[in-house]
Order: sequence, then C-alpha cells, then structure tokens
Amino acid sequence: MSKPTANWEKVGDRFYRKVQLYTAVFDQDLELENYIVVGAPYSGAVAIYRDEEKLHSYRGTQAAKSSIDIYSCAGKLIRRINWDKGSIKGLGWSEDEKLLVVTEDGTVRCYFDLQGDFVPFTLGHGAEEYGVQSCRFWSSGFVALLGNNHLISVSRYDEPRPKLLAIPPTDPVVSWSIIPPAYSLSRSVEAILAIGKTVYVVDATDAEDRELPAGPFRHISVSPKGEFLAFYTEDGKVWVVSGDWTEKLSEYDSRAKTVPRDMQWCGSNAVALAWEDEVHLVGPKGAATKFYYDAWVHLIADMDGIRLLTNDICEYIQKVPDVTEEVFRLGSTSPAPVLLEAAEQLEKKSPKADDLIQLIRLNLAEAVDTCVKAAGHEFNIHWQKQLLKAASFGKSVLDLYNSDDFVDMCETLRVLNAVRFYEIGLPLSYDQFKRLTPDKLIERLINRHEYFLALRISDYLHLPTDKIYVRWASQKVRVSTEDEESICRLIVQKLHGKQGVSFEEIARSAYDEGRARLATELLNYEPRAGKQVPLLLGMKEDTIALDKAIESGDTDLIFHVLLHLRKKLPLAGFFRTINSRPVATALVESTALHQDPELLKDLYYQDDRRLDGSNLLISEALNQLDTNSRIEKLKLAAKLLQDSRDHTLQFKAIDETQRLLKMQDAFEKDLGPGFAGLSINETMFKLIKLGNMKRAQKVQSEFKVTEKTYWWIRLRALVVKRDWNELEEISKTRKSPIGWEPFFNEILSAGNTRLASNFIPKCTTLPVSDRIEMWVKCGLVVKAGEEALKAKDRNSLEVLKSKATGSAVHEIDRMIGQLSSPRR
Amino acid sequence: MAPHASLNTSDISEKARRDLLQLLEGVRGKKNLVLEKALAGPLNLLVKFSTLQEYGVDKPFFLENDNVDSSQRNIVFLVRGEKAKTVMAVANQIKRLRNKGQIDHEFSIFWVPRRTMVSDQILEEAGVLGEANVTECPLYFIPLAEDLLSLELDDCLSDLYLRKDPTSVYLSAKALMLLQQKHGVFPRIIGKGDNAKRLADLLIRMRTELTASESSNGGGTSFLGLTPSSSIDSLIIIDREVDFPTVLLTQLTYEGLIDEVFGIQANQTEVDSSIVGAAPQQPSQNAGSASVAPQALKRKIAIDSKDTLYNTLSDSNFAIVGNLLNKVARRLQSSYESRQIASKSTAELREFVAKLPGYQAEQASLKLHTSLAEEIIKHTRSELFTRPLEVQQNIMSGADPTTQHDTIEELIDRAIPLSTILRLLCLESCTNAGMRAKDLENFKRAVLHGYGQQHLLTLSSLEKMGLLTTRSSGLGGAAAKPGSVTNYTSVRRSLRLWDDEVNEADPNDISYVFSGYASLSVRLVQSIVQKHYLAALVRPAGQQAAAAAQGWRLFEDAAKNIRGATFDETQTGEEKAVKARQMLNGAGHADSGKTVVVFFLGGVCRAEIAALRFVAKKLAEGGGKRLLICTTAIVKGDGVVGAAIETGRFGTGV
Repeated sequence: MSKPTANWEKVGDRFYRKVQLYTAVFDQDLELENYIVVGAPYSGAVAIYRDEEKLHSYRGTQAAKSSIDIYSCAGKLIRRINWDKGSIKGLGWSEDEKLLVVTEDGTVRCYFDLQGDFVPFTLGHGAEEYGVQSCRFWSSGFVALLGNNHLISVSRYDEPRPKLLAIPPTDPVVSWSIIPPAYSLSRSVEAILAIGKTVYVVDATDAEDRELPAGPFRHISVSPKGEFLAFYTEDGKVWVVSGDWTEKLSEYDSRAKTVPRDMQWCGSNAVALAWEDEVHLVGPKGAATKFYYDAWVHLIADMDGIRLLTNDICEYIQKVPDVTEEVFRLGSTSPAPVLLEAAEQLEKKSPKADDLIQLIRLNLAEAVDTCVKAAGHEFNIHWQKQLLKAASFGKSVLDLYNSDDFVDMCETLRVLNAVRFYEIGLPLSYDQFKRLTPDKLIERLINRHEYFLALRISDYLHLPTDKIYVRWASQKVRVSTEDEESICRLIVQKLHGKQGVSFEEIARSAYDEGRARLATELLNYEPRAGKQVPLLLGMKEDTIALDKAIESGDTDLIFHVLLHLRKKLPLAGFFRTINSRPVATALVESTALHQDPELLKDLYYQDDRRLDGSNLLISEALNQLDTNSRIEKLKLAAKLLQDSRDHTLQFKAIDETQRLLKMQDAFEKDLGPGFAGLSINETMFKLIKLGNMKRAQKVQSEFKVTEKTYWWIRLRALVVKRDWNELEEISKTRKSPIGWEPFFNEILSAGNTRLASNFIPKCTTLPVSDRIEMWVKCGLVVKAGEEALKAKDRNSLEVLKSKATGSAVHEIDRMIGQLSSPRR
Repeated sequence: MAPHASLNTSDISEKARRDLLQLLEGVRGKKNLVLEKALAGPLNLLVKFSTLQEYGVDKPFFLENDNVDSSQRNIVFLVRGEKAKTVMAVANQIKRLRNKGQIDHEFSIFWVPRRTMVSDQILEEAGVLGEANVTECPLYFIPLAEDLLSLELDDCLSDLYLRKDPTSVYLSAKALMLLQQKHGVFPRIIGKGDNAKRLADLLIRMRTELTASESSNGGGTSFLGLTPSSSIDSLIIIDREVDFPTVLLTQLTYEGLIDEVFGIQANQTEVDSSIVGAAPQQPSQNAGSASVAPQALKRKIAIDSKDTLYNTLSDSNFAIVGNLLNKVARRLQSSYESRQIASKSTAELREFVAKLPGYQAEQASLKLHTSLAEEIIKHTRSELFTRPLEVQQNIMSGADPTTQHDTIEELIDRAIPLSTILRLLCLESCTNAGMRAKDLENFKRAVLHGYGQQHLLTLSSLEKMGLLTTRSSGLGGAAAKPGSVTNYTSVRRSLRLWDDEVNEADPNDISYVFSGYASLSVRLVQSIVQKHYLAALVRPAGQQAAAAAQGWRLFEDAAKNIRGATFDETQTGEEKAVKARQMLNGAGHADSGKTVVVFFLGGVCRAEIAALRFVAKKLAEGGGKRLLICTTAIVKGDGVVGAAIETGRFGTGV
C-alpha cells in the first residue's frame, strides 16, 4: 500500500494533496482543449460544450451537430442535450445541480433534473439588443454581462426576476468575477470588473472605482467564501487581496510569458493557475508548486478544493486537512499517529501495541477522535479502514467513550465510498458531503436515475424513501412503452404499502405526458382526496374534482373548486353541477348571501325554492330606503309565494307587512315621524301613547289583533303615558280579557298605589292570601285585614299585625277580636 | 395533578403563544396590528398587550372598524381566512392604504388558523397578493380553563345549522388531529348526531391520509404518534343538534347566570361600573385588553379559575351562591380579626403581613362577586325571569306544553325580549318533536305582530335550523324516520332527564345545574363513562349489567330514541407498536388517569360544563378517568336563537 503522504506537496509551510479520483475519464478522441468545461459544485456533474470560438476538424455532418454533454466526474455520459438554439454565452451550474444555459440573445434555460427537462426565461433589460457577453455563476444565481457592459443578476431560479445592477463605464471589460450575495458586504451580489487599468465593484445601487491602478488585470477570482480576491496582472503576477479590499496579502510572480488560461481558487487558501498543460498552485505568502500534465487540463473549483480534468484523469487538489496532517505528517508528535502505529502493531500481534497505548494513555480520547475524523477525510479505502481500526482499538481501551461519532463516521464513509464508485461518479469529500446534506445527495442520485442506490442509502441513513419511489414511478410513466394497464399494475404493485407515496405526483407526470387515462387510474390510488383536486381541475375533470373536494371535507378546497367552476361553466350548468351536492349548494348559498345575491336569486329560481327566494327579497326590502321601493320588493316576494299552498302564512304576513307599511306612512304624515319599522303591537302602543285610540283600534281590526293583546298594549301604553284617568275609566268596566291582576301590577310598579288598589277587589279569581299581599303592597294594611277577616284567616291577621303601624294596629287587633269572639 | 396528566391544556396555550410571537417577531420593527374582533378575546387570553408591545406592536385596530392608519410602515393583519367576506375586507384595506400612498407599506397577513386557497385567490383578484407576506398562524384550541378547550368559532352555530356550512367541522377535525398527533390516536370515538358522525369520519379519514403522507422511516416520533394513545381513553363527540333544549334553557349556575345577564366573552365579562365600582385596582384584571376604545362606563372583569373564590362559586347553583358568599365573608372577617389579636410576636406579625396581599385579593374578589350576585338577584326576582323559567321547568318536567301557551302569549303581549320568547317556543318545539300546526301559526303571527314583520326571516331561519318546526302530521313516531327526532317522553324516562328530588346545596346528581332537568347531552356522556351510576339511577332495582360494558352498551335503546346518527368506532394501531407502548407505560391500571375528551360540536353552554365537571369530580373520586371538554365555542340560548334573529328593520330612519 502506498503511503498516504505519497501525493502530498508542500507549498510554503502547508501541505496540499492531489488525489487521483478516476482514470480514463474521457474518450481519447475528444479534443478537450476545444471544449468549455464546467462542473457542478459538490463534485457534481460536468457539462462540456464545444467552444465555438475555436477551430475544430471537420468530422462529417454527424459530429458537427452541437450538443451539451453532461458527464459524471468519472466520465460517464449522463445526458446529451442537442443544441441548436444559438450561441451559448454562459454555461453554469447551481448548487442543486441545475444546469443553466444562457444564449447570446438573453434566453436562459434552466435544466433542473440532468435529464433535459428545462424551464426557460429571458433576461430582458436590453439583453436581446446588446447580446450577452459572458456569465458568472454562484450557488443559486448568476450575473450576465451584456455587450454594453450592463450587468443583469438573477438570484433564484424558482421564481427568476432578472435585475439590472448599477451601470459601470462602457470601456471594454478585461476580466470579471462576482462575490456571491451570501459573502458580500452589501448582502447582494457584487460584480468586480477589470476595466482599463483599474477595477470597478458594481452592486445593485452603484458602481465604484476601487482605484487599483496596477491593471489591466487579466483574471479575477473570488475565493469560495468571498474572503479573498485574486488578480492576475498583465506582467504575470498574482495578487491576493482581502475581501474587504483593505490589505494586499501576497504576491506571486509566475514568470510566465503567456497569460494563463484560467485562474481559480483551490479552497480558500490557494490559487490555481492553469496553462494548457501546466498548473501552478500558489499558496499563502506567494509560495507555489507546479504540476505538469501531458494533456490539456481544465480547472473546476469547488468549495474546499479544486478538480482537475484531462482526457485521462480526474484529480482533486485540496489542502491536507489538519487532522490528516496530524496523523500522517512525518515527525508528528500528536497522540493520533501513535495510536495508528499501535493498531498496526496489534495486527502483527506485537506487545508493542500495549506499550504505545500506555504512552498516550492520557490523550487517548483525543487520539481516537482525531483518527475518526482523519478517516473521514481519507479517500483511500485502505487507510480509512486502518484509521477506523485504530480508533476502534483506542476506544476499546478507554473506559468511557461516546461512540456516536465513530458510528456516524462509519455510516458516512460507507455512503461516500458507494457514491465515489466510478459508475456513480460523485467523488464527494467529507466536507462537501456535510455541506451538501444526505437529502440533497439522494436528490442527486435520483436525478441520475440511480433509484436503487438512493433507496439503499435512504434506508441505511433512515431517510424518507417515498420521494424516490414517486420519482421512479414518474420516470416509468414517462418513458415506458408498455400499455397503460400494465404500467399501472407495475407501479401499484411496487408501491403498494409504501407509506407517503404521492400517487398524485405520478399521475401528474402521466398527465403531462399525455396519458390522461393512466393519470386518472393512478389518481384513484391517492389516499388524500384533497391532493387529487388540483390535478383533476387541471385535467378538466371538474365534477370529479368537486366530489373529491367534498370527500376531503375541506371547505376551502370545495370553495376553490366552486370558484373555478363558477368562472368556467355557464350559470345553468353550474347550478346543475352543485344541485345534487348539498354541501356545495350550502357553500354557494352562504357566500353568495353577502357577495352575489343575484346569483342566489337565480339559484333559488332554478331550484324552485320559492320560500328562500321570497326571503331573499324580503331581506332586500329591508335594505331599501323608502316605503315605496320596500313595498315593490315585498310585492315581488309575495308573488313568488302566491301559487303555493304551503306558504299561506308567509304570504299573508307579507301582505300584512305591505299594509302596515302604508298605514305607518300615513301616520307619519299626520302624527310625526317614528312609525316606520315598528311592529303592529308597537304601532298600536305608540298610537295609544299619543292618545289616538281610534287609530289604534283601526290597526287592531285591520290586523285582527286579539282583544287580549290589545288590552295588554293599551294597559302598558297608558301606564307609560301616566294616563290615570283613562285607566280609572277602564277599572269601571266589568270584564277584562286579561284579568285585572296585570292592571294592578303594572300600575303599582309605576308607583300609583291609589289607582292600583282600585283593582284589588276586581281580582276575584285570586286566592285570598294573594289579595292580602296586594293590599299590603299598596300600603293599605287595614284593607288587607278586612280581606283576611272576610276569609276568617286569623294567622294572616297576626302577620299583618306585626307589619302594621299607628292606628292600623288597633284596627287589626279589633279584627282579630272579631274573629275570635264568635268562636267563643 | 394526576401523574398521567400528559394532556395538559397549558401546553397548548404555551405553544399557541410561542407561534404567535414568533410570527410577530418575523416582522421587523414597529407595526400596527389589525385584528378581527372575534380574535381579540382569544388573543387576550394568550398574551398580554404589554407583551405584544414588547414584540413591536404599536397600535391595535379592529378589522371591522376599517380605520388602520399609516402611522407605521409595517401592518400586520391577524384574521380568520375561512370566509370570503373577511378576506375581502383585508384586501380592501390594503388597497385603501396603498392608494393613500404616503408610505410604502409593508403588509403581512397571518391567517388564523390556516392559509386558504380561496384567500389567495381573492387577494390575487384584488391585486394585492404580491404585496403582502402571507403566513398562517395555527391557532386552533384556546384553553379557557384547565379542563376546557375552545376553538372560539363564534359563527359556528349559524354556519353549521343554518347555512349547513361544514367549515367548523373541518376545523374541529384539524384541531383534534393535532391533539392526536401529540398524544396518540383516540382509541375509541363515540358520538351522537349527524354532524358528529361527519366529524368522526373526517378524523378517521385524516388519520389514513396522515399515515399516507408520513414518510416510511422506521422509528420516527410521528410513527409512534399515530398509534392509539395511552393517555387518552376515548373521544366523545356530541352534536349540538342532538340536544338543543339544554342550551335553550336558562342556565342556573352562577357562571351561567353571569353569562345570561352580562355575557361572557373569552373569560371576560363586561359589567356596568356602577355595579362593581370603577377603577380596576389590580392591573392583572385589565391589562392586556386589546380594546381600542377608552375605558368607558363598562368595566371588564376577568372570569377565570385564577380567582379562587370564583372557582368555588362558578359551578354552583345560584340558589346557594348567597350562602357561599356569606360563609366566605364570615370566614374572612373572623380570620382577619383573630390575626389581629394573635399578632403579638414579630414573627407572627411578619407572617400575617406576608399573607395580607392574599387577604386583600380575596376581599376584593368577595366584594366583586357580592355585587355581581346582588345584581343577578335583582334580575332573577323580576317576572321577566321567573315566568319564562316557570314555563321552561314545566316543559322539561313533561307537562303538556299546551298549558303553557297562555303564559307565552301573555309574555309576547308584554313585549319581553324576543330572544326569551323564541327560546321558549323552540324549547317546546324541540322537546315535542315540533308544534301543532295551528299553535305554531298562531305563535308566528303573534311574534310578527309583537316584534316586527322582519321576523318572517327569523322564523324561517329557525325552521331551517330545526328549532321551530311543525309536528309531522303522521301518527307520531311510527311515521317519522327513527333518529330524525328525539322522543323526549321515552328518553326522559330511560335516561331520567327530570329529577324531582334535586338538591342544589349538596348536589348528588347533575340535575342540580338546572334545578331539576338533567341535560340530555351530559346524560349521554354519562351513559358512556358512568354506566353503573346511570343504570342504577334509571332502574334502581333492576339487574346490574355486565361490568365491562363499553361504548353505547346498555343505552342503545335510549340512543335510538334521540335524533342523529349514533356511532362507535375504534381506532387500532399496528399491534407491535401498541404492545411497545404498553410495555413502555407498564401494563396494569387500565383506566386511572386516562383522559376522556368530550367534544361538543356546535357549542356547549356553561351549565353543561358545570354538570360535566360534576361528573368529572365523581369519576376522579372513583380513581377513574379525567374529562377534558372541548368545543367549537361556548354558547347560550340567546346566542342560539340569535343566530336566526334578523337584525334589520323596515324603516332605517328610526
């Protein structure tokens, strides 16, 4: 086994390593030097496109067809996108492996799944007119440079909104780069343009000259986290400036006559310069090392290193991680290498193992941690194993050690090794994996149609698998040539019993593919009724959509469908649809009540719901401002009901209302305002209060108000009016339909005890005790006594005696005497 | 409390508060808050106004007043998004502010409890969707007391029974699903009523849907969450429609009467300050009210369980409240005096002083409740109270309703409030499967004459709600479909709805809350959770039933005579998971400490709550289950008929 340090290179006081990832990457016939090569972040796919500006040998018509080819890092062709849409001025990737293609006329295509499906949008802002010159991409957006030096930024791809940045001077741009919004000081994207001898920084609001007159700068590059900027000057020097422009950190003289083809950052601590077959790696303080290749080499920068691509090999250069350096560096004094050594000795069954362990006994836990971490950064499976073995040995010696990290690392490494395998070709480093997250990794695998591996990894890492199934099925639906029935059967068979599978999504892709019948069939397997609705609406299966919405019980969804239907269908058809569905009808009714009464009228008319229709008109009548229009509305309401025998009461009442309104109008003319809106009883009440007995009686007879009611109203009105004379008159009548007790009560509570007492003798139906009580309430104890005497109620008399005062006491005494004497 | 009390209402309010404040925090800087009026009460229960201020709320406005101004750049709407009308109001206000155009406003809309597609659609049509940050504020259950959760859907009654709009059923299901997700699936769902059945079906459907959207990973918490709960025994759903009479009756508990006389909104009642004295001496009583209006002649009083004195009073029959108050007054008096004499040593003195604030609070509360009680007594002495009550008692005890007609007619002639009359009429109609056609016609005429012709609409709404109907002309029960109406004569017997020997002072049965009538809804709950007790009550000498009866057993016949669907569903989980659960919780004591969730769809009245608490107390004494009452809203009779009453009048000039 080769030593782990074999591929290390010292740059200044740091070590860099060059890891060979894959060999035999591209076909030897492919003239890589004639291609533009861009790679997705996190060791993602590589897109190549023939550089139009370079000459290439003619190989017949077949090869002349241009295309964008997407390869894995190991050189496996994932997809070939035929291209005939004009000259490509920008090719780049987003963080989630979307391929962006920007053409000269400002059209952008966002290929979101590596499989040729794309969403187009245009840049606008004069892109068409001036043409796109070039583009720079960051993790979630890009900036395009136009022919007139205008800059257009797009900061998201799900809802792209191209925005024009501030306008820089129009002199030719020598080179340029961007600082991603996440790392810029202004929190929005900033472009750095080398114009003339100086550098401009352009953000959304202004373009500022940085006055760096050492130009012209042939290359500008921004480190992955924006903390450093690198410039390549005309005279072959590399300058590194801190991200806030305050400090020039280092300078390196390449002594090269020709300007390098490319300059990229390698992680955040070194700059790589590439000529045709030579790469300089410039570390801090201007230290550098050089690599030579025998073929054209391309640089693909990543967050923690840089990938080098030639026809033959794919290599990865990164700074040796600290933990790895700690373990493997010659002469390292930390405990980790000792532990590694001990584990090797143990394998040889040498007692030295124990000696070594004892040596680092105190720092053993730290050594184990280091070994675990170093294993993660190791690309070589042999050394991964050695390090983990060492860690395992070390922790077995420790009494107490939390193995979570160890277990996690074992799992992670298994996954990493699986995806690094050349058939998959995702050579993720440990840091990249952590930044990318397992979910996104699964997403990438799905995009590569590696469903099985994705499933296995998901299971292994306890991640949800439903999405993988869904995507598999969607793909199946799209490409399968079998007949629809067997596809459906196949899918259902595979996905049966899997939780969380959204058949709706599968059905949607079936529908998008034009297989409507299959879509409907698949949709039946979707357990969530609500989910089916939008697709069904899209498929124009309106009634089914409505039924499903009702089934889901979600009124919001039902509403949604109803609104949709209302817009789409003619009124009659709309009513027919909701007619047989009571919930839908109820919802239409309750909203229309406030918003669209006309609709409601039509609905009631169509359904022959006369009572509802008439009620609606009554409530409209209530909202009218004058009597005539009210009566008009009421007439309409009555008309609806006139033929119906079930609603005679209603009909009569409406009729009464009209008459009442007319009468009230008349009263208002004669007696002043305040009648409109009163009920019949209230009208009579008011009339009596105003002393208009005659009219009150007229109202009574007009509306056949019962005597009882009339008497009550008269009583109350007279009491309110304090018309004691009139009441006294009434007390002289012989009979009252409501008895006389109410008179007593009402008058008493109005405070007139004298008049109230008039009614006591008339309450003949009441028991004596009540009458006694009534007298007392009027303050007439003696009268009460007489009542008691008449009834020969001695007990009551005794009670009364206690209540009596003054002469009344004697009176009561006398009465008690009267009662007792006959008995003796 | 009980050691198994995993279902804790304070957790719910805590979560709701956190959610809300987090949303507010998301809007940077000072902001004006626009509230729907119906949300002011719940909001007040969750957070104090001072807390809102800490989170940058500058001024609160009511959506209904349409008066939010441009004093702040940020404007936050907190409204329910289910109704198109409110959504339109929001859209219009945004447009209004935008058109004024002095400031570039930043709008945020928090839909309670969820963002709806319709709201999006309406906002889009109004052209404001792009300008507002739209989020949802998942405010479902609001805890009103330790054992009482309410959705506070004020319109629920009219929506559900008048307009037949099932939104509240769906929201209830959502809310209950959240409970299930937290505490496990209800092992059993029992209930009565058509809408209740709909809710149960929805719950079962949602469970399968949730399982479907759950990811199939092993060992997630959600996976365990959907197995039958170990802390919840069952869910009982009672549809209000099953038992309208109970809410139509005048409530006779102290709390019930406060509600009847003054009205209670979200644990707050508003009382004329001439009765209870102005100047809220305790900041806790009034702080946090989101009212914009300056303190007028009304005073807001918090009515909740924090007040210990109120706790003892709230669920008692009003007849004994006077005595209770007296007792407390005397105790306070004596302890106060004894302390003064006893306070000799400094240590004792210090102790006494330390307790002083407590005494003062109690004193204040005593004073408050005494004045409230006095006011209520004034009310209960009036004929307006006693006559209708008499009618109610007669009807409920099973007297021939026609004997009451004269009284009702007289009350109409005396122009007592319409709602009282309608309550009586509806009560008669509900308990007797409708009214005789002729009687009904007469009453309708009388109501129209007495209260105005616009009540044609009121009467027809009541009919739609099934509250005031004509008795079907068929020969009684035979013709009517079983389960479409309640046969009170038979149910009164089989569930013993009337109790002649009611004891209000030392209650032995739930009938105490209505001084005789044992409410049907609570009896239904009892027939599920208190079978022995109820069986013994109904058939004192009868044979005792099997011990382990569950669901509706023993009372199937009674349930058959009550309107609405009867159902009893069990929800099981995967056997493995169930077993694992049991292992975790330890087998054995099956019942103790488990919670029975009682959900009232369409609302519950305070007297019923009192009765249920009585049941819960009895259960707790037996070491059994706990009761948790959930509802869509708290209602009272005036509210029930109020849903139907037409407020417009002919003649707007008056």
